[in-house]
Amino acid sequence: MIEDLAMHLADLLANSFRAGARRIEVGLRRRGGDLVLEVADDGAGIPEGELGKVCDPFYTTKPRAKIGLGLPLLVQTAEEVGGECRVESGPGQGTRVAARLPWDHPDRPPLGDLVGTLVPLIAASPGVEFCVELSDDRETWRLSTREVRERIGDVPLTHPDVLFFLERSLQEGMDRVGLKEER
Amino acid sequence: MKLEDLRKIRERAEAELRLRGGAARVKIVVGMGTSGIAAGARQVLRAILDEVSRRNLRDVVVTQTGEKGLSAQEPIVEVHEPDRITIYGEVDEATARRIVVEHAVNGRPLADHVVEVREVTR
Repeated sequence: MIEDLAMHLADLLANSFRAGARRIEVGLRRRGGDLVLEVADDGAGIPEGELGKVCDPFYTTKPRAKIGLGLPLLVQTAEEVGGECRVESGPGQGTRVAARLPWDHPDRPPLGDLVGTLVPLIAASPGVEFCVELSDDRETWRLSTREVRERIGDVPLTHPDVLFFLERSLQEGMDRVGLKEER
Repeated sequence: MKLEDLRKIRERAEAELRLRGGAARVKIVVGMGTSGIAAGARQVLRAILDEVSRRNLRDVVVTQTGEKGLSAQEPIVEVHEPDRITIYGEVDEATARRIVVEHAVNGRPLADHVVEVREVTR
């Protein structure tokens, strides 16, 4: 059962890993009255003819699938609160999933533990470059694991001090762009 | 926090590595497929990273992987050692911490939650 947006995010990232992505962009944006969750990867992409089916909860091609059951649930969640979810993909062109949900809708799922979800996945994926972008109408905050790795050399992202840095940085970024529950 | 903070972290960590030697002894792999995530793999991965970090285990590597084909037994955790791979199923946070302490640190695989043990031949 997918209960919060952090879990949807983890599921989108799992799809990207399964598609063999080496670079993943994660966007969390407050735009006007909306929250936009976006994940884009450079993985294998979705074969032609399957793109129209990936939002069907009864359709799966696992283990070959580049998309999971979680995507139909995200589409359903977005549409139930008056938002939308778009999927752009092509063979060899990666996949981009963007879900827009009205921030103030009473049935919008809670954000959940976004920091506690993202940081372990980033740290435990040494072969994947992540770019996280958090923004609102006023400012944009970015974290790139390439820039982090350039500065820490051979020290792994799972090093406790690096984990602490990632958690604190991400939390500061979320606070700066108002990505916190007010209800 | 600022990216410049990472320079100090690197200096400290590299000094530690020089003192201890850098080779990994154990690799812990957490299955992060859709069914694993729904069954609590996020919390399991986080608990393992936390336990490894808290105990300052520099010779334990933690990574994630996708669907392991064992959906009914998710979350799945594998412990890779030079001579064997132990696969644990239905792992929760408490079990994840026990895997780190009892198996990765003390070298004693858990008696429970074991799905399969694969001998590694070289």
